[in-house]
Amino acid sequence: MILNGVEIRDTFAEAFPMVGTRLIVTADTPEWALIAGRTTTGFATSVIGCGCEAGIERTLAPEETPDGRPGVSLLIFAMDFGSLKKVVPLRLGQCVLTCPTTACYAGIETGKRVPLAKTIRYFADGHQISKKIGDKRFWRLPVMEGEFVCDEDTGSVEGVGGGNFLILARSRGEALRAAEAAVAAMVQVPGIILPFPGGVVRSGSKVGSKYKGLFASSNDAYCPTLRGTVPSQLPDEVGSVLEIVIDGVSFEAVAEATRVGITAVCAIGAEGGVVAIDAGNYGGNLGPFHFKLREIMRNGAGETA
Amino acid sequence: MTGVSLKPRAPFEARVDLSGLTPEVTGPLSLRELEHREVPCGGRSVKLAELFFLEGAPDGVLLVELGDVRLDGVGAGMTKGELIVDGNVGAFAGRGMSGGMLRIGGDAGDFLGSEMSGGRTELAGNAGSHAGAAGSGSRRGLSGGVLQIGGNAGPRAAERQRGGLITIAGDAGEGLATGMIAGTVSVGGSIGPLAGRGMKRGTIFVNAVPELPAGFIDTGTHELVALRLIARRVPELAAMLSGWTHARRIVGDTLIGGQGEVLAGVA
Repeated sequence: MILNGVEIRDTFAEAFPMVGTRLIVTADTPEWALIAGRTTTGFATSVIGCGCEAGIERTLAPEETPDGRPGVSLLIFAMDFGSLKKVVPLRLGQCVLTCPTTACYAGIETGKRVPLAKTIRYFADGHQISKKIGDKRFWRLPVMEGEFVCDEDTGSVEGVGGGNFLILARSRGEALRAAEAAVAAMVQVPGIILPFPGGVVRSGSKVGSKYKGLFASSNDAYCPTLRGTVPSQLPDEVGSVLEIVIDGVSFEAVAEATRVGITAVCAIGAEGGVVAIDAGNYGGNLGPFHFKLREIMRNGAGETA
Repeated sequence: MTGVSLKPRAPFEARVDLSGLTPEVTGPLSLRELEHREVPCGGRSVKLAELFFLEGAPDGVLLVELGDVRLDGVGAGMTKGELIVDGNVGAFAGRGMSGGMLRIGGDAGDFLGSEMSGGRTELAGNAGSHAGAAGSGSRRGLSGGVLQIGGNAGPRAAERQRGGLITIAGDAGEGLATGMIAGTVSVGGSIGPLAGRGMKRGTIFVNAVPELPAGFIDTGTHELVALRLIARRVPELAAMLSGWTHARRIVGDTLIGGQGEVLAGVA
């Protein structure tokens, strides 16, 4: 399949089940909401090294938030529910509670409950106040600045982690330009995050290593400087590869983000230095979710499985 | 019309206890069975048809036309359905409700919505004493649901309240929220003396700082995010709180170690 001179390779991205939740963080200003969001989702690129993968799903206008202030929607994913229950209160306590003017609310009402103020309310040392509204309980924690308001808990979803595609380009600059275009388009898709820096990974990995104790190592088949010395996947004209990793609340959301991202890259096309789109997989034996690139681009996101 | 309407045949000669006559009880009955259902009236039991003209078909809605202060226990124990009273009711209306909707067009006697745990009671007029409070011998006031009073409330409203929401559009009498354990009560008008005495937790919203017992401590005026949240999530309080930018927070009753609060609005 060739789109605007870009080869869509006949392969698939292999993704894994993850458990995720959504937090709504508000603040007095959009700037402070973003600061809280960035801090909370920092050091959360890969579950292998960070314990979770997290990102800002989108910014929220005041009319979209529970307290009528500007906010951000955050998605946090972990490999299992037990891990999620640990990382979310930690990040809430260290990054949202501490951030001036913020409040934190549940962004998902269904699924198993992930503790929020249910855990961190004890910081208030007995001065915490709960208020039940309908079926929901929220807490007010006295802090030096005033009060921190937080839902007792939030829901969770069984999502998908590790959706991906690779942009093979002639040069580093052209690869970066294509990746930036993809990210700009993909962040408009609801229900997904791109957990790596700026949404882009330059150091894609393969499973395993020659060194004991390393679970993952550099994906040498896509390293241009190793072409010829290892079984390379790169034609001679490719000088740089960037990867975009996608986590989402559903298969459909990740598939749609994949389609939108590849479409944006292909709009730049061969004239912009893009050679091919590839994807990372492990032969289909490890992850139950397969995002077949050609099917996604041929049929649209909703028709692949 | 839908449901069954009850219209008094004549002014009641004695108090009538309608506490067993809830929509979920009457719903499965035929109109004839309903006419023959007996209710306490004075010291005896009387068939409903002797007291009321009955019309319609039972379907979970009850309408009492020409309410009367001698009608006690209207909607008491409701779990679902709708009961509408066109006029006044006596004591214990909505007592122990756990669901459904009770609408009263006039005034209510004592113990309106006492020990409610769910559902919704809306009173257009004034309530007697102990609205939303614990009943005699009970330690549990209103613990869930919503009790809306369109007029004034008599003494001891919200006494030992432990959850839910009570809104009083007018004035509240002496001893509001005495011994309150949790929940929320709002008062649009003035508040009588000794409000919040023995209060452990819970919130009283008022438009102006009231006179409070000695165990309350004024913490000053604060900008509270929680006010914005409540204004948006609790429709019954939206009109009152939406104009507030700050609130004076008065904590008590500290004489018993309580951490309840009176929040007085500052526009």
